[in-house]
Amino acid sequence: MKYDFAVIGAGPAGYVAAKKAASAGLKVVMVEKKKLGGVCLNEGCVPSKTLLQAAKTYHHAKHGSIFGVEAGSLSFDFGKAHAHKNSVMDRMRDGIAGLMKKNKVEVIEGEAKLVKGGFSVNGESHEAENILLCTGSSPSIPPIPGIEADHIVDSTGILDNEQLPESLVIVGGGVIGCEFACVYASVGVPVTVLEAMPEICPNLDPEIAAILRKELENKGVTFLLGAKVEKFEGKSVSYNLEGESKEIESDLVLVATGRKPNVSGLGLEDIGLDFDPRGGVKVDPRGATNLPGVWAAGDITGQAWLAHAASRMAEVVVHNITGQKDQMRHDTMPAVVYTSPEVAVVGLTKEEAVDRGFKVKTGKIPMAINARYIAENPGEQGMCKVVLDADTNRLLGVHMVGGACSEMIFGAVAMLETELREEEIEEIVFPHPTTSEIMKDVFMAVR
Amino acid sequence: MPRQGQSVESCILTEWKVQPGDTVAEGDVLAVIETDKASFDLESTAAGTVIELFWEADDDVPVLANVLAIGDEGENVDEFRPAGSGETTAPIAEPDSASSAVPAAQSTAQPTADAAPVAAPVSSGAPSAGVSPRARKKAIRTGVDAEILVGTGPGGRVIERDVDAFLAGTPRLSATARIRAQQDGLEAPARGSGLAGMALASDMRQPGAIDGADVEPVKGIRKLIADRMMQSLQGTAQLTLHSSFDATACQAMRKKRVADGESKVSINDLIAKAILSALKIHPEMNAHFLGNRLAVFHEVHLGIAVDSPRGLMVPVVEDASKMSLEMLSAEIKKKAIACREGTIQPDELSGGTFTLTNLGMLGVENFTPVLNPPEIAILGVGGISVKPKRLENGEVSFVDQISLSLTIDHQAIDGAPAARFLQTFVNHLENHPGEDPSTIEGEE
Repeated sequence: MKYDFAVIGAGPAGYVAAKKAASAGLKVVMVEKKKLGGVCLNEGCVPSKTLLQAAKTYHHAKHGSIFGVEAGSLSFDFGKAHAHKNSVMDRMRDGIAGLMKKNKVEVIEGEAKLVKGGFSVNGESHEAENILLCTGSSPSIPPIPGIEADHIVDSTGILDNEQLPESLVIVGGGVIGCEFACVYASVGVPVTVLEAMPEICPNLDPEIAAILRKELENKGVTFLLGAKVEKFEGKSVSYNLEGESKEIESDLVLVATGRKPNVSGLGLEDIGLDFDPRGGVKVDPRGATNLPGVWAAGDITGQAWLAHAASRMAEVVVHNITGQKDQMRHDTMPAVVYTSPEVAVVGLTKEEAVDRGFKVKTGKIPMAINARYIAENPGEQGMCKVVLDADTNRLLGVHMVGGACSEMIFGAVAMLETELREEEIEEIVFPHPTTSEIMKDVFMAVR
Repeated sequence: MPRQGQSVESCILTEWKVQPGDTVAEGDVLAVIETDKASFDLESTAAGTVIELFWEADDDVPVLANVLAIGDEGENVDEFRPAGSGETTAPIAEPDSASSAVPAAQSTAQPTADAAPVAAPVSSGAPSAGVSPRARKKAIRTGVDAEILVGTGPGGRVIERDVDAFLAGTPRLSATARIRAQQDGLEAPARGSGLAGMALASDMRQPGAIDGADVEPVKGIRKLIADRMMQSLQGTAQLTLHSSFDATACQAMRKKRVADGESKVSINDLIAKAILSALKIHPEMNAHFLGNRLAVFHEVHLGIAVDSPRGLMVPVVEDASKMSLEMLSAEIKKKAIACREGTIQPDELSGGTFTLTNLGMLGVENFTPVLNPPEIAILGVGGISVKPKRLENGEVSFVDQISLSLTIDHQAIDGAPAARFLQTFVNHLENHPGEDPSTIEGEE
């Protein structure tokens, strides 16, 4: 067959691109070797958020007494939570399948391999004028002795674990590690996180990361910072902390040390595709690779590692294919950690802004000054921090921890996208009482 | 402003090299000025502190007008300020202080120098021509700052169509981009990199910027060359004849001079000498075409194209036809050095009657020289290449050949006489290099 547009991978980049290109009138095919929805729907965002909500519900029920809510006999059925998770995933997959059908996107199940001018799948060759590579990423497993043991899982494996363990050790205090730490600690499982760096989530503003760590500690998570895992033996995890070898026992170990782009088995080297030094497919801000007609979006590029970034990259590619100028703006890409409390950030940290040569001023304010926040999140810390260009008063970054701040970060994204300045933001009306008012009040603290 | 040659009445002051408050010594460069032929450094004739600049960059300054005042800090320089200059640079002097400042760069040879300037300066700091009421109304309605628009109405007045053009041709500006446009005078590209093509602060650029290129204003000597080249190609009927000569005799002659202990001469000197010899026999080539008149000159004033750090310059060896080979060689060398060092005087850059340009040392085989009007001929010399040649005994041998390209103004002269000039010229170089025409017998 001959297609206008072939999409390899049906994750948040793939199905967004396929739908958008098809509605622009292109003849589109999408190839997926596993399940529609990709990592996000099947092994990442969606299942983890369902479990996080289950944990949050249990936690609220257990700690409702401050609101006068006393739950008599409280129990947590992890199997049921998984059943809900699975039903959500089924529903979302059906949704994507329906969307593809409605937009006349042909979906092929199988493993695609790129050839010159097209691709082959299930033994058949097809031509395609443009090809989008969006095969996502997989957990990256460090070469630690003993890591093959059955009770040691990655972020995909832990989602299939329907039994609450006696205890959980998490290797890696990044976003994924923190989210699972929150799930398990909230339902009463003792969790220990081993992080090699001096602070968790090293990409976050250090103050924001510290507040998140303290809040998770309040939920029962133990963080061992600067701990380097050396080996696994039986149920024991050996690690080195400040030069001393120590051991910890656990019946479940999650390895969450990052992800790597899925670039093998696709014939990419054979067609002469360029890679960046970290192993991702090299793309320009439009998503174009070094080969004409071959594009890439999402985790396969090694950029952003976020589902919404993948979708946007896919959209940019389709715009460029259909003759509309568009390009990625990674500086305005929001990022969220879906713990309780949530972390939501967009733009530059103070350190990044200084590195870029901005004269910087900052403001920060605790969430505890916000009426809605303390009413709904008693005893929980939070913070909003803004970074501004001192020359123009332009907002460069917003960093928040507290409550459900992921739901209001889009407002900051809009401010950054339009390069609003302090003067303009001060005229924006925020509804009262909402936690979002913190985004207005923080400017009182700017200096 | 010194007088730059007899016909120059004003010079453009292209760039100031000093600011009020700077301390300068005699001979320091104060400014760059340009005539219609070349640009020059204006050197200080006094030492002291720069008190006031009387003109702005790009002003057309009448010759012999005061350009700036140098003296002791705080002196009053009101009496030296020429009429017509823009008072654009704030003087650092106290207005009531004692007056003993000396105007610099004033020609002492011209006692009438203090006379009022002959032309009013063009000041780039002139007040704006305003905004028409319709344009202003529309600008306010659409959120455009009419004051930053470039007006196309009478005298640069901003009119309604300027607002329309602005709205049609520029993307929406982000809040910060708008501030940069207002504060720094930057312009948005046709499409920005932000939301749906919104121009972001990082997209803003200097007016006239081009993607992927460094853009500089064309000014100074580059502008002069550009204007003169266009005048040449648009105002004359250029025809180029190609030929070459056997350099064997020239090379032998140069060797012999060295062996005889005489001064060194270059192939280029021998070519210059041959031009003079050939022009003696074909004087019609040594002329200016002036539209309805043709001036055939008695003497040859030979222009030599020189590649200087500032660009192409053509110094003129006056009365070259009267010179011996040695004199000619020395004179060419002197002028070329003056051009490269920037010490050439404006009068040395005009008055040529025939021009020689040589790109041979840069590996060029052939090119079509561009006339230097009103001259009617320019000879281009290419590099040496080895070519076969049939000798008198019938055998073919390889010899060093130098290529020639003679561009003529076909308005003034035809191809055949130009070809005959080339023949004479080649014959001279192949048989009598370096000799005066009077010593050659049997020529033509």
